[in-house]
Amino acid sequence: MSTEDTTSTELDELRSAVRDFMAAKADERAVRAAIDSERGYDDKVWAQMAEQLGLQSLALPTEHGGDGYGLVELTVVLEEMGRALLPSPFLSSVVLAGTALVAAGGDEAGRILPGIAAGTTTATLAPPSVDGGWSLGGRGAGDALAVTASAGTGEVTLEGTAPLVLDGAGADVLLVVAGGPAGPGLYAVDAGAAGLTRTSLPVLDLTRRIAKVSFAAAPARLVGAAGGAAAILDRVLDVATTALAAEQVGGARACLEASTTYAKDRVQFGRQIGSFQAVKHKAADMLTRVQVADAAAREAARAVDGVADAPDPGVAAAVAHAVCSEAFLAVATENIQVHGGIGFTWEHAAHLYYRRAKASQLLFGGPAVYYERLLAKAGV
Amino acid sequence: MPSEMDQFVAEVTTFLDTHATRRARAAEDVAWGEGEDRITYFSTDPPDVENAKVAAAKAWQRTRYDNGFGWLTGPTAFGGRGLTTLHDLVYDGLEAAYEVPETGVLSLIGLGMIGPTILAHGTDELRQRYLPRLYSGEIIACQLFSEPAAGSDLAGLETKAVREGDGWVLNGQKVWTSVAHHAAIGLALCRTDPDKPKHRGITAFIVDMTAPGVDIRPLRQMSGGSEFNEVFLTDVHVSDDHRLGPVDGGWGVALTTLMNERASVGGEGAGPVGRAVALPFLTELLRANGRLDDGAARRRLAELHADTLATEYLNHQMIRKFRAGEQPGPEASVSKLMYAQNLTRGTHFAAEIIGPRLIADTGEWGTYSWTELLLSTPALRILGGTEEIMKNILAERVLGLPKEPGIDTRSPFRELRRSVGSTGSGRSGE
Repeated sequence: MSTEDTTSTELDELRSAVRDFMAAKADERAVRAAIDSERGYDDKVWAQMAEQLGLQSLALPTEHGGDGYGLVELTVVLEEMGRALLPSPFLSSVVLAGTALVAAGGDEAGRILPGIAAGTTTATLAPPSVDGGWSLGGRGAGDALAVTASAGTGEVTLEGTAPLVLDGAGADVLLVVAGGPAGPGLYAVDAGAAGLTRTSLPVLDLTRRIAKVSFAAAPARLVGAAGGAAAILDRVLDVATTALAAEQVGGARACLEASTTYAKDRVQFGRQIGSFQAVKHKAADMLTRVQVADAAAREAARAVDGVADAPDPGVAAAVAHAVCSEAFLAVATENIQVHGGIGFTWEHAAHLYYRRAKASQLLFGGPAVYYERLLAKAGV
Repeated sequence: MPSEMDQFVAEVTTFLDTHATRRARAAEDVAWGEGEDRITYFSTDPPDVENAKVAAAKAWQRTRYDNGFGWLTGPTAFGGRGLTTLHDLVYDGLEAAYEVPETGVLSLIGLGMIGPTILAHGTDELRQRYLPRLYSGEIIACQLFSEPAAGSDLAGLETKAVREGDGWVLNGQKVWTSVAHHAAIGLALCRTDPDKPKHRGITAFIVDMTAPGVDIRPLRQMSGGSEFNEVFLTDVHVSDDHRLGPVDGGWGVALTTLMNERASVGGEGAGPVGRAVALPFLTELLRANGRLDDGAARRRLAELHADTLATEYLNHQMIRKFRAGEQPGPEASVSKLMYAQNLTRGTHFAAEIIGPRLIADTGEWGTYSWTELLLSTPALRILGGTEEIMKNILAERVLGLPKEPGIDTRSPFRELRRSVGSTGSGRSGE
């Protein structure tokens, strides 16, 4: 869908509404409370996101209870969430599962999507391969599919273990790419299904929960066409890496702002440390990274939305994923350095961003995977 | 009904079809092993070839001007078309598909920087006298700013202008002056009051480069060519009507020039040099050297490609902001830093793939020819403001970080320390 119709003023208004919401509901104290909670996020805030701002429905199609906007609008929201480090199942439910279901189409997708749009159902999508990666039967042994489906057309059963499922312990619906008789297909499993075991895992990024999910003859329903997972996954990766890139830009901007503020406030040798070129040039390098990452993320959003003069979506999404991953990690790392000893304490927020930056970089496979994806998309 | 822009496109296309030849293949297509085996950033042409290229550039600019395309954004009163930056971009995009002479010798300094400065600060008489001649390709302009002791600290310049009768007498030395040897006029910054703080005692003048006392000596660059010069000014007379802006108000004039300089350096990524370090050409380089399956080479290629495209996206966004009538933010400085970095990385990547065939000319196509670019890239981190100065600007003006407390902008220029051996009583050296 084309979203060139949303003016930059409207995008600014959306940003400011989301930023105000995050300032009120997801300040550092609230983020830390959510981290320490059982669920890992504040379900009241999640409900308010849907009821007051309609964030979950923003970029889902109107025929499934969404508002029909695109990535250009959604990435504004994601950037603000990334800036605040909001713990929530937004990436897993709205972005991963939502995109997979829209791409798959059909009755089953139509059954699940309205709940996702309303924020009353959370869903997630498990990475397809045994090593937690997102490639479908590629080169290595790690690319073998983690889960297989029994033969049949209506109700089938799933067998196997998906080792790294985002928000896998809390999601109401689990979407799984499983090997089936017609090739890899997309299947849906309800949280209460028999034969389902979900184990929450210790995580590097404290703001995002990950679970191991095992299926032992778990009943599942096919979503979309049998054997149709390859095209679905390709679309999911373009959209999800673009969404992640916007989050990363928001996180990187928060780190840059924290460093800038500290460099103005902190006095050593009788002067503000930001007046030393060693610090000043580090800050300028961080700004350069953030600006370039911001440009990459915005262009990817336009491309994935199919805006007329935008580049190829596969290429632009891969560029954004690479550039924003590297930028956020670099800026989050330097943020600790600018702060010195205080930046290495548990009480300071710098480590929360550093954790988010590293985990985000590796979430869809990491540099070895995203650089090859870029070359593949560029035809090399 | 066709839009105004559609009509403009049609008009440009008719003009180009009439006066130029369409390229046989798209500029970005790679024909590996074919064509001129040269990748240049700075010219290394012998003087006769260089002069012929300058003449061709002037002639093409004349043709553009006579047909209404010489100065799209300029006011009609001074020979411009009164159109927008977008029209400029559209024109450039259309012209890229045609074989036309390279006009950088006119446009980078004269049309890109000096013209806008004269327009912003000149009297109507000066504008009328020089702008039509600049934009019609009749004359070339150069920038007499840097000096041996005033590089990054441009406001520390020492070339003197002293009042004499109804004019001024200039004495001093300028350096790194690109195209001075082709220029008819130069924009000179001179010290007019050493008793004022350094930024407040500078005045700008338009200098006739053929006047007595102007001595232009070529400087040979590390890449072999001589695109820039030293310019010695000895008792050069300039009449007061060739002063640009108020007496002692030259710093404001200089800032106009410098802002246009940063915009022009960052935006040049699409030229032949940019194509040499872009993915299609480098992919062919890997293929020709049997390295297309080499994981380490692929990784570096992808990293470079990601940063190159992201920089391109940044430039696109700058253009879209222009189009929407917004003022771009720090994109121009960021784009310049990234461009220098990407080009340097790309060149060294190519050098690694080529290996020892880069260090001696075996005659093989696409090998030794990279040395020109390799020897040019260090300049990109210096020209138009060093990387270090650009970072100061980003940190201080965009992020609002405090200035160096040791920099003295208040004491009279006369009292400042200007070299290790000087006796200035200021506190500028730490």
